[in-house]
Amino acid sequence: MAQLVLKNLYKRYDNQKKSLFRKKKPPNDYAVKNLSFSCHDGEFIGILGPSGCGKSTTLRMIAGLEEFTAGNAYIGDIRINDLKPKDRNIGLAFEDYALYPPLTVYENLAFNMRAKGKSNEEIKKAVNYVAPLLKVDDLLDMKPPALSGGQKQRVNIARAIVRRPGLLLLDEPLSHLDGKMRQTLRHEIKRMHHEIKCTTIIVTHDQMEAMSLADRIVIMKDGELQQMGTPLEVYDNPANEFVAGFIGEPPMNLLRSTIVTAGRGFLFTFADSDLRVEVPERYDSLIHDGMEVTLGVRPVDVRVAKKETAGSFVPIAFYENLGDERRIGVRVGSMLLNMATPDAVYFERGQMVQLEFKAEKTHLFHPGTGERIR
Amino acid sequence: MARITLERIVKRYGKNVALDGLDLDIQDNEFFVLFGPAGAGKTTLLKTIAGVEFPQEGLIKIGDEIVNHVEPMYRNVSMVFENYALYPHLNVYDNIASPMRSKLYRQDEATIHQQVERVTKMMKIDHLWERRPSQLSNGQRQRVAIGRCLVRSPNVFLMDEPLAHLDAKLRHFMRGELKEMQSSFNSTTIYVTHDYMEAMSLADRIAVLNYGKIEQLGTSLEMYYTPCNEFVARLFGEPEINIFPGEVEEENGCLGVRALGQQELMPIEEDAAQVLREKEVRQVDVGIRGNDISFSFTPREGSMAGTVYANEPIGNKVVMTVDIHGTHLSLVAPNDTQARIDQPVYIRLNMKNAIFFDGQTQEYITRSQAQSHICSKGMPISERG
Repeated sequence: MAQLVLKNLYKRYDNQKKSLFRKKKPPNDYAVKNLSFSCHDGEFIGILGPSGCGKSTTLRMIAGLEEFTAGNAYIGDIRINDLKPKDRNIGLAFEDYALYPPLTVYENLAFNMRAKGKSNEEIKKAVNYVAPLLKVDDLLDMKPPALSGGQKQRVNIARAIVRRPGLLLLDEPLSHLDGKMRQTLRHEIKRMHHEIKCTTIIVTHDQMEAMSLADRIVIMKDGELQQMGTPLEVYDNPANEFVAGFIGEPPMNLLRSTIVTAGRGFLFTFADSDLRVEVPERYDSLIHDGMEVTLGVRPVDVRVAKKETAGSFVPIAFYENLGDERRIGVRVGSMLLNMATPDAVYFERGQMVQLEFKAEKTHLFHPGTGERIR
Repeated sequence: MARITLERIVKRYGKNVALDGLDLDIQDNEFFVLFGPAGAGKTTLLKTIAGVEFPQEGLIKIGDEIVNHVEPMYRNVSMVFENYALYPHLNVYDNIASPMRSKLYRQDEATIHQQVERVTKMMKIDHLWERRPSQLSNGQRQRVAIGRCLVRSPNVFLMDEPLAHLDAKLRHFMRGELKEMQSSFNSTTIYVTHDYMEAMSLADRIAVLNYGKIEQLGTSLEMYYTPCNEFVARLFGEPEINIFPGEVEEENGCLGVRALGQQELMPIEEDAAQVLREKEVRQVDVGIRGNDISFSFTPREGSMAGTVYANEPIGNKVVMTVDIHGTHLSLVAPNDTQARIDQPVYIRLNMKNAIFFDGQTQEYITRSQAQSHICSKGMPISERG
């Protein structure tokens, strides 16, 4: 059973080299700060965040390639802090493939098991099991230099799972590949996971990749956990402004707004803009006149109002037809508010329209802390 | 402002042919996009017009003048480079002013001030005059680069993937900004990109390039709805169009396609069937977009049985890939769709929107005109049914 639990994990990289001039450097900031999460046996977890958020450090700590500054990690019931990497029963695949160039694909896959002194029979059985899973069964006699990038990465992942590890760790495995190959391999990784049901953690900066692969996503920023949830949860209910802006494409509109009273309800108003949009009623108990908020609403959740609203008319700034969908923009001060719709509609630039937000799909964030107001 | 004409341009680098007898006629004031995969010859073509590269054969005309042997500086073109190429030691104001301080196009300082003010306002960087490039964000640098290009009124603006270096989020917003500014460009613009959304959004016309040749020339909607071959069809749209082979057969006087190992023929709209009859095509490739496939987890009349190969939530939608007798079809599903891998699923194709290609040559044959694909004007956004 390979259930992974991280408890209050900290990591700080020390400046190892002592300066000649004995200048005291301030200690580095934590690369990982108080990170706790757990995943069930067989779960597919995505660790997602911008570069420098600590996601790879976390993975390397789980793998045993970095020491813990503080905190504990458990695989199953075993505390792994002081276990050597080889004793952690982990399979690891990095972005660059690190295959042995003089060995055939078969020997590359067999390498770890040979090192452990497994019999030829066992090795053959294991290789023949994983090779078709990642569609490398036709490549077994080839050597790495003859393979394409996608094929190399397949071999690399196959090698990571050939020993049937309790935990599979993937660090940006698709970043080197081009669009089409990336999609194919994404499907195959997901199917491989479905087949062997090995607890898997993938580190990525691509939100699409995390959303499409993972059962649950861990979103990190500056070494700290921002939110953990299923793809739909983090998309529909972002915990804060950062998550809201990071997840989803086209990106969420995030606008600073002042709320004012108007008649029975409230209106969103924006600096340097005449735009006024009705505040959905469900917020009435949380807001007051003059309150500052950051309004978050996805392009698919804004639309041109069909009926007249209490809001103001604004001119269309741009209209684009992308075939699959239409994108429409209006200007709000120095920002653009984007709308997206699959419907076949057409607007002229400059045409005056009113906007409407889907009530249940608007999010308010505290402008200082970025926390969600709910 | 000028019309640009290219006649049978050939450009070779050693043995490699980068441009292979290319003809192009770009209208005055047109926003023209060169689109294609890496290595198609887009940037080479742009450089040929700029005068940085010289073609071995063919004529380049700007206006009515043949410019093959005119030096770049005398061609009166203005270019934005992919990597911005700003002067690191000059501030934003001086960077943007620099084209007007060159020997050839010198203006007096009062005019320069006025022009810099105009474009920085337009690009919304008028508060950044004093900053150096190193003190700017990527998005701001990119705006400075475009501003420097727009500050003069040249014959033609040349833009080489100006948004390619920005991250995905910023690219969305910058494309919107560019689209909004477009009408104030007031000159012929040639824009290179490999992002189909940029191409469709900005272009008056698009030329799809591949191996130094033009595959198709037309508006963005022509590219999307009537691509001239399967290569072009695959370039536009997300998820990529599904294309599968089939055989045209007649049953009870109606034409249909036998494909995907199905018992029943897939219906072909009458007007498309007419064309297929006249051309006597038997082997076709059917192209159908993800939006034109519906699904359910229980069998329905006229649906095909398959299994879920992949189910990928990507935020506002789910892309489900369905395996039907070994062929994978991707369809777009609502964003809360849950499906297990290998679970049975039943799909129905909206054959009214199918595109038919020749099975051998992969060239476009026909599509039904039954469903109008032109967006109705001024119609408010309605709820999707």
